Amino acid sequence: MQPDVTVQPEVAGRGGVRVLRPESPREAVTMARRFGGTYVAGASWLQPVWERRQSWPSCLVALDPGWPGFRGIDQDEGGLTIGALTTLDELASHPLVHDHLPGLGTLLDQVAGPGVRRLGTVGGNLCAGGDLSALFLALDARLHLVGHHDPKGESLVVWDAADPGVDLIQSVTLPDARPWRIAVDKLGHRERFSPTRATVACVHDGERVRLAVCGEGGPGRLSISEAALNDGHSLSGADRIQILDTELEFRGWQDPTLRLAIQRMVDYLLAEVGHGV
Amino acid sequence: MASDTPGRMVTLGADAPDGGGPSPELYRRIEGRLSYPTDLLDIPGLLQGAILRSEYAHARLLRVDASRARDMPGVHAVVTADDVPGLNRFGIVVRDQPVFCEDRVRYEGDAIAAVAVDTRAQARAALAAVEVAYEPLSLVTDPMTAEQQVPLHEGGNLLAQETFHRGDPEQAFAACAVVVEHDYRTPRQMHAFMETEGGIAIPDDAGGVHFRVGCQSGHRDAEQLADILALAPGQVTVEAMATGGAFGGKDELTVQPAAGILALKTGCPVMIHLDRFESCRAGMKRHPVTARMTTGCDADGRLLAHRVEAVLDTGAYASLGPAVLENFLDHASAPLYRIGAYAVSGRLVYTNNGVCGAFRGFGGNQATFAVESQLDALARELGLCPRELRRINLRSVDEPGSRHQPVRWTAPPVQVLRKAQASSLWSPETVPRGRWLTGTGMAMGAQGNGLGDGLPDAGGGRISLSREGRVRVEFGFSDYGQNIGEAITHSVCAVLGCQGSDVEVMLGHSRGPDSGPTSASRSSVLVHGVLAGMLPRWMEAVRCQAAELTGYPGDDLAHGPGGVFHQGRQVLSYRELAEHGRREAMVADARQDFPVAPGQDHPVGRYLQLQIATVARVMVDRLTGRVRVTDLHHITAAGRVIYPPGYLGQIEGAAVMGLGMTLTEDMPAEEGRLRRDNLDQYLIPTFHDAPTQRVDVLDGTPEDDPFPVRGVGELGIEAVAPAITAAIEAATGVRIRTLPVDPGVLLTAIHVRETAS
Repeated sequence: MQPDVTVQPEVAGRGGVRVLRPESPREAVTMARRFGGTYVAGASWLQPVWERRQSWPSCLVALDPGWPGFRGIDQDEGGLTIGALTTLDELASHPLVHDHLPGLGTLLDQVAGPGVRRLGTVGGNLCAGGDLSALFLALDARLHLVGHHDPKGESLVVWDAADPGVDLIQSVTLPDARPWRIAVDKLGHRERFSPTRATVACVHDGERVRLAVCGEGGPGRLSISEAALNDGHSLSGADRIQILDTELEFRGWQDPTLRLAIQRMVDYLLAEVGHGV
Repeated sequence: MASDTPGRMVTLGADAPDGGGPSPELYRRIEGRLSYPTDLLDIPGLLQGAILRSEYAHARLLRVDASRARDMPGVHAVVTADDVPGLNRFGIVVRDQPVFCEDRVRYEGDAIAAVAVDTRAQARAALAAVEVAYEPLSLVTDPMTAEQQVPLHEGGNLLAQETFHRGDPEQAFAACAVVVEHDYRTPRQMHAFMETEGGIAIPDDAGGVHFRVGCQSGHRDAEQLADILALAPGQVTVEAMATGGAFGGKDELTVQPAAGILALKTGCPVMIHLDRFESCRAGMKRHPVTARMTTGCDADGRLLAHRVEAVLDTGAYASLGPAVLENFLDHASAPLYRIGAYAVSGRLVYTNNGVCGAFRGFGGNQATFAVESQLDALARELGLCPRELRRINLRSVDEPGSRHQPVRWTAPPVQVLRKAQASSLWSPETVPRGRWLTGTGMAMGAQGNGLGDGLPDAGGGRISLSREGRVRVEFGFSDYGQNIGEAITHSVCAVLGCQGSDVEVMLGHSRGPDSGPTSASRSSVLVHGVLAGMLPRWMEAVRCQAAELTGYPGDDLAHGPGGVFHQGRQVLSYRELAEHGRREAMVADARQDFPVAPGQDHPVGRYLQLQIATVARVMVDRLTGRVRVTDLHHITAAGRVIYPPGYLGQIEGAAVMGLGMTLTEDMPAEEGRLRRDNLDQYLIPTFHDAPTQRVDVLDGTPEDDPFPVRGVGELGIEAVAPAITAAIEAATGVRIRTLPVDPGVLLTAIHVRETAS
């Protein structure tokens, strides 16, 4: 989507950044469209990127966690709805999350450090293809987006974090996963505060297994491998491994040793959720 | 000298009652409340300085035009090579690095110009306005072929080469029952200090400059700066302020030359503080080493022959590279072990890959990684326990060192080995770890104190009574978090019987006593020797003054808490002495040459030796190949402990640094560009990566030993890497010889072994 007015997209110093503070989500979308602004919440991921490039967006659109539905966690018959501006430490410590996704706290403990988790938000993590992406993809999370015209919903699977346009994530809804078996594992360069090399999520909803990854090869649902696991009864273990390897390579996972690690993590997680391969 | 009888053994704790707890300064440092020179932002008239770095790793400089930058808002001065008043070169060993490049850049951090401005934003704009025309030149990036590439300096790309010989290695290899040969690689590690390079240059009224900086040798820096600034030595003062870590990375000049030139040019104080990006790009690094080692022994495990061929990449400039090469070779000759014959050779080459220099361990730990790995390989070939192979070959305290030089240990090496063998970390795991494979390994290391090889090495100190009545102890050493101030205070208190609050330690002023550089694990040795030389004379001088003031005979007076005592009763406080006595009469100083072996006209290697055995326990994820180091147990033999928290901090801190080098830290260079630019890419260990550690001290020095105290700043890093890789091998059967350990390589090897079995 093209901005309505021509503005200098980037500036060379922090001092040249203009911060816009919209009154409402709809106004935020309008401002982002008009001025080509970048949405900013915790900025824990964006700031190092800007500092590295020594180049800042000329215009930031500050998101307000006080907007209705943008912060906090609720449950209803549709599952768990998490405001996009809910911080990662709020997510980790929330009783509803403990109830619905008991393993999430362990994963979040490996995301950055406490200071960053107090700033970083669920929406920001998803936009960056961060650690939550794999799990939320595997859970078939649905995004509630505020667009230029109407609010809309979109599956995280089809939403493109690399090209989000000016749509704004208001919240994420996860299905009620309490009866499901869920396993997630993160491989980083070190124990904490590491970029994700690969985070793998495996969900067994009682009937089918779902797989998703995020990290160096980007976030994505491994639907071909899922199909091989769920429907490929005639396939051997070696065939499934080959399918997974090919799918990962196709999705952009170029490092063969990392693909090997993911294969072994998938095997392990499948056993954890009770799916024999 | 230590005898072959067992020494005393203690386990150190941070809150050891006899050594006191961590100092209040430590908490100020941890909580970010300690002021560094770069915090001195309220100096009147302070200007911000910034340096323009080369965009190319190797290029001819065709034109540097600063005219547009000089007209920018807020710009007080722009300086280039034309503005260097004196020698446009610096370097501790070889002065080959330009302050500002004249006609050629040799790495992407090379300095071309600098600006002094009112604000940092203006600095960025001014630097961008300096017009530089480059003609790119072919790059020298592969150290193995550097000598055949375009020369980066007059004389070619071979900066130094050296070989240590003993016996006839070829003949000895012929007699070996087992020979192992392997290639080793170690990374370009970054110091990653908390406070990046920075400081202030303040012009004085007499045309001189006063520097308040983070550095490691105020006196030596003052000499180099006087030459650069074309000032008399007395016109340059360097005050090494509390520094947020150095580890060798501030041994060489960093921001001082540019800041000094700008200060002289503008007549204003100028601060330069590199941000993390600039520090990563331009700062000193550890030398990456590529080494082939061939080692042989007889059928009983006795080492007979050893050959080393190594190449060290020093980057664009020499700095302390030649000394690093010497220390690497010293350690590559396996100083702990008897070897009949060896040829240990190394080449130090220039490349366009950044610049390397001093770093804790100073080449020694890279060599020890390979030597200890070789011993494990031999043990495996012989079917012998690696500890037993070491026991067979360890030197006794009576034997000379590997270069046949006299050495002085503080405990028998075999005792250190026995303590390591007794470590509880060898106990098998009782709890199944699921996906995690566990293993324990160990390695040993030796470390010498001092600059070594007969290099001029001396240091002095001074003690006096301050106007406020505190015992003022001055040394030229820098405080960068190694607890030297606390160690000095403890030593003084132990002799005077006073309290820490009675003592005031002043460090790092080039107008004060010259103690030499704060490096080479030499400070503690000199502090102990210099204090032993000057404290008795000072105490006597104080007693004389007290006798004059009180009328008591001087011999009946004694030092104690807060002042001077007669028959157990304080008769004068130090404050009263300062107020009523002649303070100029209560001054003592001393100077000492660093200890070398008696009767050595041309000392070889280092006389005072330390040892460490590190036992490591690791868990290896069989799914991904990642490694967790869960425990490190160090048995150290480094003389008497004068300040337990300081000793503990040095050993544990160095070990975590070694863990980083082993598992995650590397600054790879591609086409002359360093590929990590901040700490979100260059990954040092976090608290969660730091293992549980235990530090034992084995000390066999007799009470009257003249050198009972040794420096432990580097000892802790010595054996960590080979201990961890030995533990990984114990867990997985895979030996890693390239650092940092690549989990992908490890995983692939594990996978291959699983498939084969």
